Amino acid sequence: MICDEARRSIPLIHYGEIAFDDEEAVHEHLALCAGCRSEFEREHALHRALDERDLDVSPFLLRRSRDLLASAIEAERAHSSARRGWLQGLRALDLRIGFPSFTRPIGAVALIALGFFGARLLPLSSAIGMQAGLLDPSISRVRFVEPGTKGNVQLVVDETRQRVISGRLDDSRIRTLLLSAAMDPSDPGLRVESVEILKNRTESGDVRSALVYALENDTNAGVRLKALEGLKPYASQADVRKALSHVLLADENPGLRAQAIDLLTQNSNQELVVGVLQESMHKEGNGYIRLRCEKALRAMNASVETY
Amino acid sequence: MDEAALIRAAQGGDTAAFEQLVRAYDQSVLRLALNLLRSPEDANDIYQETFLRVYKNLNSFRFDCSFHTWLYRITTNLCLDYLRKRKVRREEPTVLATADGPLDRMDMVPESRAHGDPQRSLLSKELKGRIEKILGELTPRERLVFEMRHYQGMRLRAIGDVLGTSEEAAKNCLFRATQKLRSALGDFL
Repeated sequence: MICDEARRSIPLIHYGEIAFDDEEAVHEHLALCAGCRSEFEREHALHRALDERDLDVSPFLLRRSRDLLASAIEAERAHSSARRGWLQGLRALDLRIGFPSFTRPIGAVALIALGFFGARLLPLSSAIGMQAGLLDPSISRVRFVEPGTKGNVQLVVDETRQRVISGRLDDSRIRTLLLSAAMDPSDPGLRVESVEILKNRTESGDVRSALVYALENDTNAGVRLKALEGLKPYASQADVRKALSHVLLADENPGLRAQAIDLLTQNSNQELVVGVLQESMHKEGNGYIRLRCEKALRAMNASVETY
Repeated sequence: MDEAALIRAAQGGDTAAFEQLVRAYDQSVLRLALNLLRSPEDANDIYQETFLRVYKNLNSFRFDCSFHTWLYRITTNLCLDYLRKRKVRREEPTVLATADGPLDRMDMVPESRAHGDPQRSLLSKELKGRIEKILGELTPRERLVFEMRHYQGMRLRAIGDVLGTSEEAAKNCLFRATQKLRSALGDFL
């Protein structure tokens, strides 16, 4: 084997993409050729260096991507079923009547004419009746049907009715609804909006507790960030400090961890913070956050390491 | 339920089956895009577009190839477009200016391997920067083949299938990519 062939095979050996006999031939050549052996070593070093840069997908990124995909697919499904509904209706009509194809333009014109004259000639009351009746969007499903007297029919229907409630944040009913929306597990967007509003009412103990809970437990980083913003003025309180320590040591979002360092160091009893920062230094995988912890510890004249 | 049954169920409108299919492959799609594009936002865009296309076109999947190959064809085509566009438009800086000095956005993404030795860490950072630069200079196809072989562990034959080319062409691409990397990293290796 000549050097050129051997060198061409070196990357393939590292990737296991070479036939057994060919690999044997390369190794025989390497045993005799120092130049190619050095090339082989360099390829090996290249692989080690490349392995260092491999990025892992963070659970946060994965979860966010999955959530967004679920919403996009839901929207797509709703859009396509609406489209399919119309098309199927028209196709069914066409199949049932079975008009020859040349009559379709005539049919289309007839439908337009029917719509036009129908709108002019039908009494207004019947149109209103339609709107208020079965087309009522609050009726989601018919559960029970019973024939009544004199040709009437009784229907039992499920209703899902939306209504608008407005009020001030100091109204306890409004606050209760917002607190419940802030913990709605099915809708992160709703939680973000609710926490955004609640964070301006942190003088209320129940709101603060909800923000502490969200900061420690919400799966969405946007919600946790809003909760943290709301808790900033209370960073010296024991329950908030505990939540901030939890964020620094366990939150997967580096931005939140960085903010937790700021809040823990600016307000709290420094002796209590040192241990948390040292523990964070010990387990933190992100270089920037480690640097921030180190900076904070040095500013407090505390040891960077735990002994 | 095996994969073919899952695909058929998803084609019939079974959303739980579709979700299972997504979950079987979505981490590797996201990882491929993240390693290629080095930006969580761009990787997420590729993820969304890939699986939306899968959702919309699943009925046209006729089992002529494996689902993995079909899915990766969609992903790699999107990534190639992205890389080609990125070549022409100005690169987005990965380093942001913050109150505490420059912050590399990629530091926000966890790395597989971390080490504590500061000297090694410095050298590794410099090497990392050099590797990123060279990878950025590879052609989009070289970049993609290299990524799929080195980081995704895909066989060259499978890469050829995904890219609609031969195993030999994929092999040549990989060879060119590793050659460029080795010669540009000369003093580090």
